[in-house]
Amino acid sequence: MITVFGKRLRLFRPRSIWIRKVVQWGFFALIALIAVNHSLAESGGGIPLIASASLHAVCPFGGVVSLYQLATVGTFVQKIHQSSFVLMLIAFLLAILFGPVFCGWVCPLGTIQEFVSSFGRKHFRKRFNHFIPFKLDVYLRYLRYVVLAWVLYMTAVTGKLIFAEYDPYFALFNFWTSEVAIIGLSILVVTLVGSFFVERPWCKYACPYGAVLGITNLFRVFSIRRNQTTCKADGACSILCPMNIPVDSKTIVRDHQCISCMECTSEAVCPVMATVQFSTRGAK
Amino acid sequence: MTLKSKPLAALVVAIMFGGIIFSSAMGWWQTESTKEAAVYTEGEFAGQANPADIRGSYTFGDVENNFGIPAALLVQAFGVQTNDPAGYQVKGLEEMYASSEQEVGTASVRLFVAFYLGMPFDLSTDIYLPESAVAILSERSLNPEQVAYLAAHTVPNPSGEAAPTASTAQPTQAAAVEAQSTPPEAVQVTPQGTPRAEGTHEPSSDQLVKGKTTIAELLEWGVTQAAIEQVLGMPMPAAAGMTVKDFCNTNGLSFETVKAAMQVEVDNAK
Repeated sequence: MITVFGKRLRLFRPRSIWIRKVVQWGFFALIALIAVNHSLAESGGGIPLIASASLHAVCPFGGVVSLYQLATVGTFVQKIHQSSFVLMLIAFLLAILFGPVFCGWVCPLGTIQEFVSSFGRKHFRKRFNHFIPFKLDVYLRYLRYVVLAWVLYMTAVTGKLIFAEYDPYFALFNFWTSEVAIIGLSILVVTLVGSFFVERPWCKYACPYGAVLGITNLFRVFSIRRNQTTCKADGACSILCPMNIPVDSKTIVRDHQCISCMECTSEAVCPVMATVQFSTRGAK
Repeated sequence: MTLKSKPLAALVVAIMFGGIIFSSAMGWWQTESTKEAAVYTEGEFAGQANPADIRGSYTFGDVENNFGIPAALLVQAFGVQTNDPAGYQVKGLEEMYASSEQEVGTASVRLFVAFYLGMPFDLSTDIYLPESAVAILSERSLNPEQVAYLAAHTVPNPSGEAAPTASTAQPTQAAAVEAQSTPPEAVQVTPQGTPRAEGTHEPSSDQLVKGKTTIAELLEWGVTQAAIEQVLGMPMPAAAGMTVKDFCNTNGLSFETVKAAMQVEVDNAK
């Protein structure tokens, strides 16, 4: 720790929140294990003591798309079970408290996108995650609300899990089964290829569940907050934000795309202590 | 209050798994269907299982439990070759009929069950049945709309599979047109596709105990009065025209339980 022009700087600081990677890959492994075990159980096998639930049963978005049918008919959309509804409530609780931490810390599709992006970042360096022109990007960010509206409408009208055919998350953990649709696999491939150029392309432009959780950024309890008095305005937080949020121009990040990854905080890229923090209002 | 990454990680994991453990303890954590189809909430069939709620994860045994149609009959209807009819999963049909030009799958089973039991079913979408299923349905009472629908929505059985009865061809379009002109609501389709009026009704060969089965029909099928009373656990009603289901409802008996036991008696009496 040194002090330069009255500001405390860390000489050696972590470049990323390593504990987040641990949590992410932990959930990734868990979901992968459940998906594989489900396939084994379908063919009469299965690993003892490991859940063999279907992927739909452990996806909180299933609860969201079932809300209309649950309210009107009293049943879940086909393939969706009560566990999806429970997970939806848990994810909402987390989001109200901490923002879309489900996206940034739990979702395996986000994890695999970040993994591919790590190679893109090394290859393109500063150009990585800045390929799409800002003027276009700012509008594309709302595309996921269009996807959300379409999914909710189609599911309500048909009573079927329409999105499963297109869902890259489902394709990721079912590519070895006959249940996955070609369109879903294609979207997964496009997403992974896109991740080499852009951080989390699916999350930014198309994820309907990210759209739902993103709304909680407007009223969440814990937010990313920047201390203007200690900030040395080097722009590191904005440059390295995976979701391209201009953190250095805000005092509180209310952007609907924030995933609470904490990569912009003083614990990671911000070199000044206690300047960009994950905190409640009034925190010192 | 400021939160660092490690406490946040701990909170995320704790809330996720804590929530799951809590919901499990409360009995809310269900990752599988209960295999109990939703029931009609209104209309003539209020309270009865709705075929539209049959899921791909259901086995033919689950369908049998919900709707009383024997798994063996479903296997026959869909040309499935299996040693365990009750264990066959409905979604397996999609793979079995993968080579078919039209999809045969879960929706087909829903349609078959609805038509077989004379229950209402939305026909606004195209759902296809194999010839073998249509042949079985041709023995049931269908209205002209259903006859016409089947005529236009029949696909061949997978190669190597034969329809259950010889030349049980699908009902032809001509038959459907003819059926539409037949005034009575209940029109039947012969295996050859020719509709016949209710008056020329032929005895059903499958002798299934279902909601509309009367005590008189049980006696007609050869089930003795003693056997009926043994299943019911009480004297049978004086009015033999009373349905088994109505008798069960009146006397507080489980129709599903009685139905299964009575079907055994019917099978033994054959």
